[in-house]
Amino acid sequence: MKPDLTSSRGMWVMNALVLAAGLMFLSPVLYSIWMSFQTADAYYAGHLDFTLSNYELAVAEYNFARYLLNSLIVSGVVTLAGIAVATMAAYAFARYRFPGGNLAFAAVVATLMIPSHITLIPNYLTLAKAGLLDSYAGLILPAISSGFAAFFLRQYIRGIPRALDEAAYMDGANAFQVLWRVIVPISKPAIFSMGLHLFISEWNNYIWPLVAIGKEDLYTLQVGLARLYRINPGEDVIDWPLVMAASTITILPVLLGFVLVERHLVRGITMGAVK
Amino acid sequence: MLRKLTPYLFILPLMAFLAVFTYVPILQSVNLSFREWDFMSPTKLWVGLENYQLLLSSRDFWNAVKVTTIFAVISVPLRLALALAIASYLVRETIVSRLMRGALFLPSVTSTVSIAVVFSWVFSTDYGMINAGLAWLGFERVQWMQDPQLALYVIIFVNTWKQLGYDIIIYIAGLQAVPTELYDAASVDGGRRLHVFRRVTLPLVMPTTYFLLVVSVIDAFQVFTIVNVMTKGGPAGATDMIVNMLYRVGFTLFDIGQGSALAVILFVFLIALAVLKARVIGRKVHYEA
Amino acid sequence: MVAKLPKLTGLGLVALLGSTSMTLADVSVEFWHSFSKNAGEALDQIIDNFEAENPGITIDAQHIGNYNDIVAKLQASIPAGREPDAVIMEVTRYGLFADRGVLMDLTDYVENDPLKDDLFDFAREVGVFDGKNYIVPFNSSTPVLYYNKAILEQAGVPEEPKLETYADVLAVAQQVQAELGDEGISGIAAPGQFARWGLIMDNDSDMIDSVSGEILLDAPNTVEAYEWMASLVHEHGVASADGVTTENQGRDAFLAGKVGMMMNSTGNYGRSVAALGDDLVVAPMPCNKVCRVPIGGAGIGILSSAEDEVKDAAWKFISYAASAESNAIWFSTTGYMPINKHTAEQPLAAEALETKPGIRVAIDQLGFAKGRPRPPVVTWMRATEYDMWQAMALGQRDVTETLDDFAARTRAEAERLAK
Repeated sequence: MKPDLTSSRGMWVMNALVLAAGLMFLSPVLYSIWMSFQTADAYYAGHLDFTLSNYELAVAEYNFARYLLNSLIVSGVVTLAGIAVATMAAYAFARYRFPGGNLAFAAVVATLMIPSHITLIPNYLTLAKAGLLDSYAGLILPAISSGFAAFFLRQYIRGIPRALDEAAYMDGANAFQVLWRVIVPISKPAIFSMGLHLFISEWNNYIWPLVAIGKEDLYTLQVGLARLYRINPGEDVIDWPLVMAASTITILPVLLGFVLVERHLVRGITMGAVK
Repeated sequence: MLRKLTPYLFILPLMAFLAVFTYVPILQSVNLSFREWDFMSPTKLWVGLENYQLLLSSRDFWNAVKVTTIFAVISVPLRLALALAIASYLVRETIVSRLMRGALFLPSVTSTVSIAVVFSWVFSTDYGMINAGLAWLGFERVQWMQDPQLALYVIIFVNTWKQLGYDIIIYIAGLQAVPTELYDAASVDGGRRLHVFRRVTLPLVMPTTYFLLVVSVIDAFQVFTIVNVMTKGGPAGATDMIVNMLYRVGFTLFDIGQGSALAVILFVFLIALAVLKARVIGRKVHYEA
Repeated sequence: MVAKLPKLTGLGLVALLGSTSMTLADVSVEFWHSFSKNAGEALDQIIDNFEAENPGITIDAQHIGNYNDIVAKLQASIPAGREPDAVIMEVTRYGLFADRGVLMDLTDYVENDPLKDDLFDFAREVGVFDGKNYIVPFNSSTPVLYYNKAILEQAGVPEEPKLETYADVLAVAQQVQAELGDEGISGIAAPGQFARWGLIMDNDSDMIDSVSGEILLDAPNTVEAYEWMASLVHEHGVASADGVTTENQGRDAFLAGKVGMMMNSTGNYGRSVAALGDDLVVAPMPCNKVCRVPIGGAGIGILSSAEDEVKDAAWKFISYAASAESNAIWFSTTGYMPINKHTAEQPLAAEALETKPGIRVAIDQLGFAKGRPRPPVVTWMRATEYDMWQAMALGQRDVTETLDDFAARTRAEAERLAK
């Protein structure tokens, strides 16, 4: 017999099961957050306790507040600069026909297929020569150009009626003013989605900061966390509750933001895929 | 005159950044792949195809190809099948289904390092969640990440866990684009659920499937963070995927020539994949509006 | 006078500006090292003492990670010109950097420093590559065999068991495993790379011949040694695979009282005593075919790229760190061996020798300790050996086949490096 999904009781049971499955799915992360509030002794002994000491340790002893700041600065600047650069290019690709335009657009789209890892060694050398390793600039500059954002925004802008541009031109606006006063306001949802996309991918970026940063002061959260777990400064048995506190600090901004902006995130992703 | 220059000015910043950090580096990689260098010698000795020969005759390279292929062959269909099944269930707009979508989607925007660390604990031999469960059920503890037979599957599991939500969201969008009349028509025809799924849903989400296929295959060839944090490519090379090998050769052995040759091979392969995709999708996909 | 990147404080936007040149009255020496925990504290104390005696010199000591991390980070720093001024380098892996001119030739400094007559011969020899002096030893060690008396007793192993041959060690490990395996206690920790090298020497072989430089990875006695070591894990199951994939996990489990025996550097002595107290016993390494142990540890070198003034300051520190006073602090805290002939005269050292019998074992082993060769290829060989060992220990690859392949690749690599 199939459960009768139309009856309210069957529905209720089904919903409870689905929610339980959801909790189960997230249980490793939920448990890790819970564990971050345990003392190591209590955790290994298997009894319960509540403490903020792991967070204090992560901040005071292992500099995670600094890493958090670094991640915020780097992701923030990459997002703002990346959006500015991508929006301008997207506008040109959407609105102008110009010699070389198609070729340039194809070259931008091609980068979607190119994993950043291929450029790892040359970029390292470029920034080494420029003396920009171990600096915020070294983290930020290679991440600014997002072919995906440019492509995505171009598709979006193409959907905006040209009549709006033309009305603005009639009023004497120049191309930049049209972009700033007409296109950008209308494209806000798309720009916001892309901004989130850029922020999250930069926030979670690992391999580049791993090779580009040697100074502990400039670690991002990702590198700091991997190092805390892998290189294990104490070189004794892993202090899991401490590691989990660091991990929670690392996922928290995204976790909190997620609740607020899930819809925009989803839109960004699906528009890119389906359109 | 200025009017003619306008579009160029608009695309200039993007193209300049791409040139410096993407296009030129690709050429540099090609150049370095014909040389021998360890970051220290003052000269970068020209060695022709030696690096490629060394790579293609090395066990490590073929092991990385094998591991990456196994990863792709298992994880791609797994991701797509699970995602489609779950998406067809969650496509309805109810509160529970929205909550569930959120829960499944969350990992795909969460830090990969955090996820890798958390799952390192989940699968750790002594303190892990899984082994605690097994012990409670009376089973032996399993050395998940120390056993060359198991470690790759752990990596696949974690990667699937992380990426599944993304696939689901894309599928839901694809499913929502399917006109409901088609379902109604199929139901009127006396179609049963499975029948409807096979005859209506599956063909209609074909474009989405192709898209996800390409995305997840490219993903498979770029897995690094999970491996770097959880296993470092071990045990005994069992999880030494291509990008991990690239990092190892380039930044621990400092064989810049071979590292670059590996990058070039990966590049050529992915471009070939892109061309293939353009051809296949160009032919098969005509549902798009 | 050095203008390194300014230390970042507060909002790190300063970094965007790159390096600013500052004129300081002081000389600051950026020094990369590998010591944490009690060894790190001992080093800090030596640095504090040095700075007190040498106003005007600051040692900017940075803990980078283990020896492998230092090698990797140093090599990566070169194209960017962000090398430190002085660095701790493991005694077999500095040859590459000396060969490439990254480390400066310290011969003149050594010759003009009274220190040269105070160092033990073995300690002098360790820093010499191609007839020139590139590093001065700071911490020297040999591998020893540690065991946990309480665990062995509990498993019914007689007191002071004979642990002279491979077979002896295996027998004890098996007994512990059989008796206590169910309680989560294993017989022996999988040997780390330093211990593996020691076990190969015990078997009258080597990885690379120290005289001729011939690569001996596929020599019959090397193969036999690896076969035995690998069998501990995958055939006899007396060593946990955890210690194969992550070397430190074997040691950590021993320190946590979950393993019967461990072959490891004397450098772990201080930490092991702290963890296990009276249960810790230090025995000499087995002598399967011969009694021979490698000399390990590390020394401090100076980077060619440093400014002259900084080089002088760095040398002062190197010389101070190898002095009897510093060496006594170091030796009594860590268990690394004395490198200075006068160390034992220091009260601190005398006390340690009396109260910590384990150190004596290491010193006695010096009678048959042997320096290891350090041609440039060793860096590559040691970095690659981990994967080879994993494959063998986890039963993934046949030992003979693996070592034939490894030896061939090492020879090819040596040839490439010589170009």
